Amino acid sequence: MNRRELLLGGAAALSLAAAPRARAQAAEVPVGLIYPMSGANAQIAADARAAYETAAEVINTAMDLDLPMARSVGIPSLGGARLKLIFADHQADPQKGRSEAERLITQDKVCAIVGAYHSSVATTASVTCERYGVPFIAADSSSPSLHRRKLSYFFRPAAHDEMFSEAMFDFMDAQRKKGVKIETIALFHEDTIFGTDSAATQTKLAQERGYRIAADIKYRANSPSLTAEVQQLKSADADVLMPSSYTTDAILLVKTMAELGYRPRNIIAQAAGFSERALYDAVGDRLGGVITRSSFSIDLAAKRPAVARVNEIYRAKANRDLNDNTAREVMALLVLADAINRAKSTDGAKLREALAATDIPGEQTIMPWSRIRFGADGQNTSADPVLVQYVGGKWVTIFPEAAAIAAPVWPMNG
Amino acid sequence: MTTQALLQVLASGLLMGLLYALIAVGLSLIFGLMDVVNFAHGDFLMVAMYAAFGLWFFTGLDPLLAAPLVTGLLFVLGALAYLGVVRFAMRARSNAGMVQIFATFGLAITIQGLAQFLFTPDYRSIGQSWLGERTINLGGLFLPLPQVYGGVVSVLTFAALYLLMSRTDFGKALEATREDQGAVALVGIDRNRVFALGWGLGAALVGLAGAVLAIFYYVHPQVGGPFSTIAYVVVALGGFGSIFGALVAGVIVGLIEALATTILPPALKSIGIYSLYLAVVFLRPRGLFGRL
Repeated sequence: MNRRELLLGGAAALSLAAAPRARAQAAEVPVGLIYPMSGANAQIAADARAAYETAAEVINTAMDLDLPMARSVGIPSLGGARLKLIFADHQADPQKGRSEAERLITQDKVCAIVGAYHSSVATTASVTCERYGVPFIAADSSSPSLHRRKLSYFFRPAAHDEMFSEAMFDFMDAQRKKGVKIETIALFHEDTIFGTDSAATQTKLAQERGYRIAADIKYRANSPSLTAEVQQLKSADADVLMPSSYTTDAILLVKTMAELGYRPRNIIAQAAGFSERALYDAVGDRLGGVITRSSFSIDLAAKRPAVARVNEIYRAKANRDLNDNTAREVMALLVLADAINRAKSTDGAKLREALAATDIPGEQTIMPWSRIRFGADGQNTSADPVLVQYVGGKWVTIFPEAAAIAAPVWPMNG
Repeated sequence: MTTQALLQVLASGLLMGLLYALIAVGLSLIFGLMDVVNFAHGDFLMVAMYAAFGLWFFTGLDPLLAAPLVTGLLFVLGALAYLGVVRFAMRARSNAGMVQIFATFGLAITIQGLAQFLFTPDYRSIGQSWLGERTINLGGLFLPLPQVYGGVVSVLTFAALYLLMSRTDFGKALEATREDQGAVALVGIDRNRVFALGWGLGAALVGLAGAVLAIFYYVHPQVGGPFSTIAYVVVALGGFGSIFGALVAGVIVGLIEALATTILPPALKSIGIYSLYLAVVFLRPRGLFGRL
């Protein structure tokens, strides 16, 4: 037997050994995930991938966690079929989002699409899903206009920006009641649908509740310089600065504020960049006391034990803790798996019915939510947001009081 | 808007503009030398920023001291880009312009892809440095030290570049090659060598800009994008190939950008620059100081 024969024989033996296992493996359920894998927000997608892989691990293997589909292997009603994650890159471009969604549906035959971070992309991708009768789950796209388009295949387990903004103003109202002076706010938002929707909601709420808007600054995303914008914020010197910014602009904002000698008295952020570790790695020492809205807080582990365990799995993959975005992503896939199990099918219409009938109690989530139950518009109305504050390098839940771990530090001490 | 706020905006615009000029001049130089627009220019900037960040992160070398190293590294990268890619693109028999565009565009995508693969798309920024986040306060006028340093470096570089181009044999060889490639070959100047040095010099200049920028700007694989867009405008405005034009146009762009943001709604920030650019294209297509 020469070397080639030996190799061939070995390969044959190996394939024989592998064969029964391959046959025993149950079918796979392909799920499409659409994220900005390249471009300025590629890190978001890298973290999202780890989050979805974490969720898939919870679903595909048996774990003793009080979460949907955790204790079983795969999807029990489909003979233990495993979720297969198929990622597509939308490059933060709504048109690419549309075409990638179409490709996932027609080529990869995914049963649902989850995405998309950028609300602008969720807008186009969800319309494509609607056309093909495939459910779209907005895991982390929070623009309120998304669920108002009368789409029947659109679902969003997490809160949208209006709910988040309301929580911010509820918090400020509560502070006022305690005798804290808050009269003026400054809005600082980027120029795509996320920033503009967020600012529109905040403007409306400010008018209703009697806060004066001292500055309303819309800036171009990924600007080389924000000096003139920050100068305007500084001139306005509002009681509370409310930014809606992605990571890159958030870093530049904080750096420019430091350079121009502007210390905002308080920051209440619309998450996004302000939930990302990169920002705190870069300029965390200037952000002591910053408050951001969140769908998630790591200190929730005290109340919901699954949080710590899921975070451990995620940490092993991503080398960082779950945050607002990644926690919502994990939860979105769990919600989908739960629906697939009840639908006993991957057919779009049946899956849609099952999703619409979703009813998961808050205890079976890793979120501070009281429930997951979708309204006719596909929005979960019980996704109670929280406000968290960055204190001593850690996130602390400060609002609402029912979920609060500590009292807020006010004014901030960045 | 108070006078002080206006002064602040103008000062910031001036400093930023000097930096834009420094970023753009390498692009202008390469174009002037051989009529090739380098679409990988922004990615050279990105590589330089990563180099400055990497030196700081791994050896603790302050970006001030790292600047010469980064500049040298980019010189090598630029020369290699010419010898390895552009030289071959220039041999195209037909559609030479297109081939060159696609070659440098491909180079850009390759560099970005490699950066994303090697450095991950995470956002990095230099934490503590000698100049980082220090600011001079002139009676309420805040001048961030990193940007002041950037402005000074830019002015000195332009002065050095002027001397290099007008007083040295190398500068004269560059100038001669740009005037008539055929004639220089007859007097024994190696065209390829001059081009390689020209690319090296162009990349070294953007490398220096990157080492300055990294002090106060975040780094990620796509960071070059917005800066290269501005660099193209600066070069077109100042006149393709004109070094002095790049300086003037960089400052104009910086000032207009800052003023437009202050006067117009911020979302229209870029309108000021691009309408000026359009006006130049219509009224003076060769740019302010172009010699085409």
